[in-house]
Amino acid sequence: MSKYYLFQDTKKCIGCHTCEVACKANKNLPVGPKLCEIITVGPVFVGNQPKAAYTFMPCFHCEDPWCVAACPTGAMQKRGKDGIVHVDPLLCVGCKTCMSACPWGAPQWNPETGKAVKCDYCIDRLDQGKQPACVTVCTTHCLQFSPAETAPKVRRERYAKAMSSLEETI
Amino acid sequence: MASGVCPVADTIHWLSDIISGGDLKNARCRQRAEEILRLLEDISSGRAGKEHFPAIQSISTNLVSESPDRTCVDTGKELLARLDEHRETFLSHLQTQNCPDAACVRLAPAPCQMACPAGIDVPSYVTLIGQGRDGEAIELIRRDNPFPWVCGLVCTNPCEFMCVRGRIDKPVSIKYLKGFAAEKAMSDRLYRNPEKSPDKNRKVCIIGAGPGGLTAAYYLALNGYSVTVIEALPMAGGMMMVGIPRYRLPREVIDQEVTMIEDLGVEFRFNTRFGRDVTYKQLREGGYEAFLIAVGAHASYKAGIAGEDRYPQVIDAIDFLRRVALGDRHIPGRKVAIIGGGNVAMDAARTSIRLGCHEVYIVYRRTRAEMPANEEEVFQAEEEGVRFSFLTIPVEIMGADGKVESLHCLRTELGPPDESGRRKPIPVEGSDYLLQVDAVIPAIGQTIERKWLDDLQDLKWTKRNTLSVNIASMETSMEGVFAAGDAVSGPATVVEAIGGGKKSANAIDRYLRGIPHPKMPPVPVRRGRVDFIEIPASTKMALVRPEMPMLNDERRRVTFQQAELGYSENSVREEARRCLRCDICIRCGTCVDICSKKMGINALQMGYLDFDNPGPTDFRLTAERCILCGACASNCPTEAIKIEDRGNERLLNLCGTILNRLTVEHCEICGKVTGPAKYHDYLKKRIQGINRRLENRVLCLECARKTTAESHVEMTPPRVLV
Repeated sequence: MSKYYLFQDTKKCIGCHTCEVACKANKNLPVGPKLCEIITVGPVFVGNQPKAAYTFMPCFHCEDPWCVAACPTGAMQKRGKDGIVHVDPLLCVGCKTCMSACPWGAPQWNPETGKAVKCDYCIDRLDQGKQPACVTVCTTHCLQFSPAETAPKVRRERYAKAMSSLEETI
Repeated sequence: MASGVCPVADTIHWLSDIISGGDLKNARCRQRAEEILRLLEDISSGRAGKEHFPAIQSISTNLVSESPDRTCVDTGKELLARLDEHRETFLSHLQTQNCPDAACVRLAPAPCQMACPAGIDVPSYVTLIGQGRDGEAIELIRRDNPFPWVCGLVCTNPCEFMCVRGRIDKPVSIKYLKGFAAEKAMSDRLYRNPEKSPDKNRKVCIIGAGPGGLTAAYYLALNGYSVTVIEALPMAGGMMMVGIPRYRLPREVIDQEVTMIEDLGVEFRFNTRFGRDVTYKQLREGGYEAFLIAVGAHASYKAGIAGEDRYPQVIDAIDFLRRVALGDRHIPGRKVAIIGGGNVAMDAARTSIRLGCHEVYIVYRRTRAEMPANEEEVFQAEEEGVRFSFLTIPVEIMGADGKVESLHCLRTELGPPDESGRRKPIPVEGSDYLLQVDAVIPAIGQTIERKWLDDLQDLKWTKRNTLSVNIASMETSMEGVFAAGDAVSGPATVVEAIGGGKKSANAIDRYLRGIPHPKMPPVPVRRGRVDFIEIPASTKMALVRPEMPMLNDERRRVTFQQAELGYSENSVREEARRCLRCDICIRCGTCVDICSKKMGINALQMGYLDFDNPGPTDFRLTAERCILCGACASNCPTEAIKIEDRGNERLLNLCGTILNRLTVEHCEICGKVTGPAKYHDYLKKRIQGINRRLENRVLCLECARKTTAESHVEMTPPRVLV
């Protein structure tokens, strides 16, 4: 895994898709590819209430990425210093092998360039000391990006609270 | 082909660098530059209309006048300077849809079109013929050449020498396809004239009804001019009629195509010799505002040997062919020697055979390899019984009582190359011998009959005794007097005269409308992007260029019937399918590189892409290794090679040739196409050893993501509540 962690507090997420928009604008993407995506799960009835969940799906930056193994040209790479998995557009020939290899559907197709494109945590922004585009625009601040060791403890705290008070809040 | 730098492509590179380099700090200014870049890219890819050029100019002007900083102003100024300097090239990209430097890849013209002196869009019409659309094919050809039928029979087909298919096996039989389509369209009454422009009521005079003059007459008449053609002979056609013998080009063919031109209202004055029966002054006074001299090259060079002027049985080839064409079918003698190795010599020899000469010799001082005549012509002459005497120099025509009895010859050897690059024949001493003949026909070469043009004293001539013209405008040294055809080029081909005639018609139109002449010669026009004809790779490889069926040798020796019988309809449609569509595929080799070097699959074997060292090509081999990954298609700059899903199959299609087709697998969840099994096998092989857990699941991109999202969801699921 990369040394970073992109945390989504699903409890807070309202599914506004602002993260997707910022991501596409930042990478100048045409219709089609979504490097990160809010997947709506549900709605399902919880008791009498319909409930839906919004799951933020970027790339997981796997420890041993299938896409990197699958890529025949060496375009798909895992950066040594921080483990970010990214595509070098100059090497990519658009064979889509990475897309088919990834079990999570992370690499996407850019029909304009005829190449694969994927979430790289906005590697260029990170190198300038900025945050990934999606995180900076999140309306409810449910997305948080940080080195893995300083990842927020929101979920643990919330769970502990739920356990102690015996309220059904998860 | 890539002779220089295309200013359109160059400007795109330059502007992209400026934009991506971040030099334009002002947002408004950057936006304008990006807009200009988009418009330039439209031009370079064939999507632009005529408004594009003024639009770029006006935005560039804004850059200069409204920009807050120096870099923007300089960028605007540089743009305006480039537009001004290369205005013609920018406009030519818009008008012709061709980029002769091939730097704008989507506008790179096919080699056959560039080789054609008339600039016909060959791949488009070959494809139309392959689809059985002969009428449309002829209509397309006639936008560049009003004589598709004539050229389909007698063109020297330079296109076929450049044909890329020739690097695989044999060139596409372009000439005969055209001939077939013209005949079929004529017979089906689909050979029609396009709509004529309204009359302009301005008179143009054309001197000479040969291919050059008639072509100019056709395009000028279409354009609404009143055209009069003055011709010394009693019929139209020029050298096509009196130079090319009937067994190669039947008179009906010329007559029918000339009739099409006459239908446009062109007036012919036959038996009228310019400079004798009518003068330049008279015509000027008659209201003609522009002139085209297309008188051809009807005078023969002397062989320069002793006895040439002593006997009536010595007749130069041009006179001989003209006489026969006009109906005099007397034989020159029983045993005839033709001096020379060009096409005219072949025509004279084969005509002599048909008139009944028992022995016909071609006397040529070099060897077969150096002969300028077409290979086919030489071959056919041999079939008909013409005998060749190579490495032979005639020195004297000998005879008695005013009759030729023999040709005194010397044998030669080939020495080192002379200034023309050909090896120089050196006489062998003491090798004299006599060739027993009773007629001699010198066919040394032709030149222009200058005496009829003596009136026009301001005409400038070249050292080669041809008319001197501006090559872009075809205008002579006299204002309003243009020239085309053999009179300009010296003895050349029908198709070159047609090209010149078309060019001069365009120039005359500009002259009469007061538009300045272009600085560069016109670029051939792309007439369409006809859909590919689909064909399996095996068929594409297996099709063989058909042999031309010939009239039997016996009949060819005694009649003037057309020697080439023409292809059958079936073989024409099949032959057209061999075309590689070089108007779309620019043979850059990117697909092959990607497949072998990047993907390591090496499925594409297309050695013909390399012009200098063509390797083996076999489209059938692709299917053996190809996994249909589509990387070739993603990187093709012109969409010549494409991946497409059709029903249950995925296909790889190169300009219509189906290189590979495989059944596809589907997403387990939604049923969407995920790709062929061979592709998934390749994938599994590559990710082996990392994780085998999911490798047998076939999921599409969306379902993969969705499945993961569901497994991650933080929501109290109903099952927990129960």
